[in-house]
Amino acid sequence: MDVRRNQKIAQQVERWDLYARLTPTIFLVGSLFLILFKIINFETAFYVGLVGFAFTAVIWWWWAIFTIKYLVTVLNRTSKNLQDTAIEISQISTEVKQLKDDT
Amino acid sequence: MTPNTYGLIKSATNVISGISMIAIIVLGAAYMSFSNAFVFQDVKIEIVNNPVEQSRDIEFMMIGSKKFECNSTEVYGTAYHADGHMHRLDKFTKQYTRNTRPGEPVPNQWHMKVPDDMVEGGVYRVSMTGNFVCNYLIFQTEKSQTYDNILLEVEPR
Repeated sequence: MDVRRNQKIAQQVERWDLYARLTPTIFLVGSLFLILFKIINFETAFYVGLVGFAFTAVIWWWWAIFTIKYLVTVLNRTSKNLQDTAIEISQISTEVKQLKDDT
Repeated sequence: MTPNTYGLIKSATNVISGISMIAIIVLGAAYMSFSNAFVFQDVKIEIVNNPVEQSRDIEFMMIGSKKFECNSTEVYGTAYHADGHMHRLDKFTKQYTRNTRPGEPVPNQWHMKVPDDMVEGGVYRVSMTGNFVCNYLIFQTEKSQTYDNILLEVEPR
């Protein structure tokens, strides 16, 4: 389940990366084109950009919070499991040593 | 696509995206500053021939500086009497200087005809309103600015 979710997060990061890479240029070129041909004016482009920026910021913020929360949970669980494994290995090695001593 | 080409394309899109983002932020900030600014700064308007005699027009004098290139499309005044009635002043007998240069205080003056229905005379408070088209860099917008409370005294006609 963790593996599937980790893959999902990796995909989401890739999508954010692509979005950050393309959106500013597409918006800038698109707006300049529409303004040049008088389809929209600067005010419209400004407010569309502002709304887009705000929308992106809010969505990204919540995505980042939930992802960090998930990653911290996974990190804690992994640390605990590693600690348990280390204790078990230590116990096993003690037992093996005792067995060797007995024989 | 080879990993090298992929890396190059990725780097190029990163740089283009960064430059676009900077351009959007700079243009957005410049547009906000432009659209929120008043047309005239340090502006003062006065009527210099109070009380206006029977045969005279109302003589306005103004000084102010403009931050941007702005051209007026409509200028009019509204004279408010203490008892509530008002008159529109929009007949120029001497025109003001259009499209004064931005950046420094420029004096300007104009004369306006006393409205025909202002026969009883009296003391008025005039509001002068100007509508403008302003240009800055690649931006253009319409602006309006009003200067209130100019004292006008008119002798009975």
